Amino acid sequence: MSDSVLDHLRRVAALPDLAGTRYELESELGRGGMGVVYAARDRELDRRVALKVLDLALAGEAQLIAQLEHPAIVPVYETGTLPDGRAFYAMKLVSGARLDRYVAGRPSLASRLGAIRRVGEALAFAHARGVIHRDLKPQNVMVGEFGEVYVMDWGVDAVAGTPGFRAPDARLDQRSDIYALGRLLAFVLPVPAPPALQAIAARAMSADPAARYPGALALLADIERFQEGLAVEAWSEPWWHRLRRFGSRNAVLLWLLAAYAGVKFLLFFLRIL
Amino acid sequence: MDTDTAIGGPHDRFPSTQPSLLEAAVAGLPSEVLDRVVALYWKPVYRFIRLKFRKDNEDAKDLTQSFFAAALERDFLARFDPARASFRTYLRMAVERFAASQYAAANRQKRGGDVRFEPLGEQAATTESPEQAFEREWQRQLFSLALDDLRAHCDGCGKQIQLLIFEAYDLAGGERPSYAELAMRHGIPETSVTNHLAWARRILRGFVTERLRGTTSGPRELREEMRRLWI
Repeated sequence: MSDSVLDHLRRVAALPDLAGTRYELESELGRGGMGVVYAARDRELDRRVALKVLDLALAGEAQLIAQLEHPAIVPVYETGTLPDGRAFYAMKLVSGARLDRYVAGRPSLASRLGAIRRVGEALAFAHARGVIHRDLKPQNVMVGEFGEVYVMDWGVDAVAGTPGFRAPDARLDQRSDIYALGRLLAFVLPVPAPPALQAIAARAMSADPAARYPGALALLADIERFQEGLAVEAWSEPWWHRLRRFGSRNAVLLWLLAAYAGVKFLLFFLRIL
Repeated sequence: MDTDTAIGGPHDRFPSTQPSLLEAAVAGLPSEVLDRVVALYWKPVYRFIRLKFRKDNEDAKDLTQSFFAAALERDFLARFDPARASFRTYLRMAVERFAASQYAAANRQKRGGDVRFEPLGEQAATTESPEQAFEREWQRQLFSLALDDLRAHCDGCGKQIQLLIFEAYDLAGGERPSYAELAMRHGIPETSVTNHLAWARRILRGFVTERLRGTTSGPRELREEMRRLWI
């Protein structure tokens, strides 16, 4: 058997057999440790979907995600088993860019933080239902053309995270997701990044889980404080930085005071003359 | 009517489910297990020895034969610990140790290490490392055995057209015929060509899985091997 025939067999024997389903295979979109995602057409509803094919032992992933109805979590349309015994689930086909490619397009700081906030909201929602992601990384976040954000590839027990984004925890839990969210924040920040945001990311990435934010919402609240020009919890800023922040936050008031003082000064001199 | 699109059915079932290595060892079937291991690994081991130790054809065959004979005699399977490595890695490392010890013995016999290396010849043409060649050969052998299973299965259940279409399309060495050409050749609709190919590929995949199941320690290793196998 030649190498080319072998490679062809390896490829075609892995293709999902969709006979008996409502789907028609179009192309492969990507693959991860847990399965392969294909673009497919739903013949009954005449729409394109993303079809994830995975080992039957991991089929719980579909049920897991189907429970999570949130604007930032890709909705699952249907789950099932293929004739070859593998499990599949059909979900919304998200068009947009992966977070790493989105950031490469140099969006504004507000847009970057907006994406992180959406991811954090999805995490908080999932955590409240006892679900952890386990493998949060830029490749698992999609940003749509209208700024919508989707967190994908929600974890199953077999997932052990991706080096660089995986917390150094012996056992993955919600705090491990907070670590990954901090890593994600550090990833999207421009260079140089505001020190307050760097501090937020650093706190979330603390080696000690107890030193991290207690939840995704606490991290988001700190980002919100930064955006409103308030002091963030993660950083004890120096006095001059506090002064500068006060200045930029109350710029209008300071300008009015300065103008008032200037006019008074002018009037004082006019009276002397 | 095209019956191949039906899901399940008697012809979609595999003749047997092979026990995993550990299940077989527990059940006390080591010779049967070793037969499976030898069928799948003889050629990869032979190729690995040729490249790694620069052996000529006959020496590599002898060494491969000696390795499996020694594995049969010793508690080769009992010493396999799936927590430490996959069976494939365990076997390759065992081959390496065995061949190295044979090499050392030959060295001693020749008093001073006057061991002659074979000219590289055809081996120099490959850019693959011995480890890569071992894995590649393992894949090739796995699919070759699964193809034999598929052919036997098709003969047994009267699926000759499916097999002919599969062989003409998926095993074509050069340019593949179009679905329309295959449909015309066999006097069937083009959709049937699609269905026959899907059926044959699914059955082939099943046999590959079965062969793998019989030469891995359990579901976890099987999953990992499957993940490595599919492109």
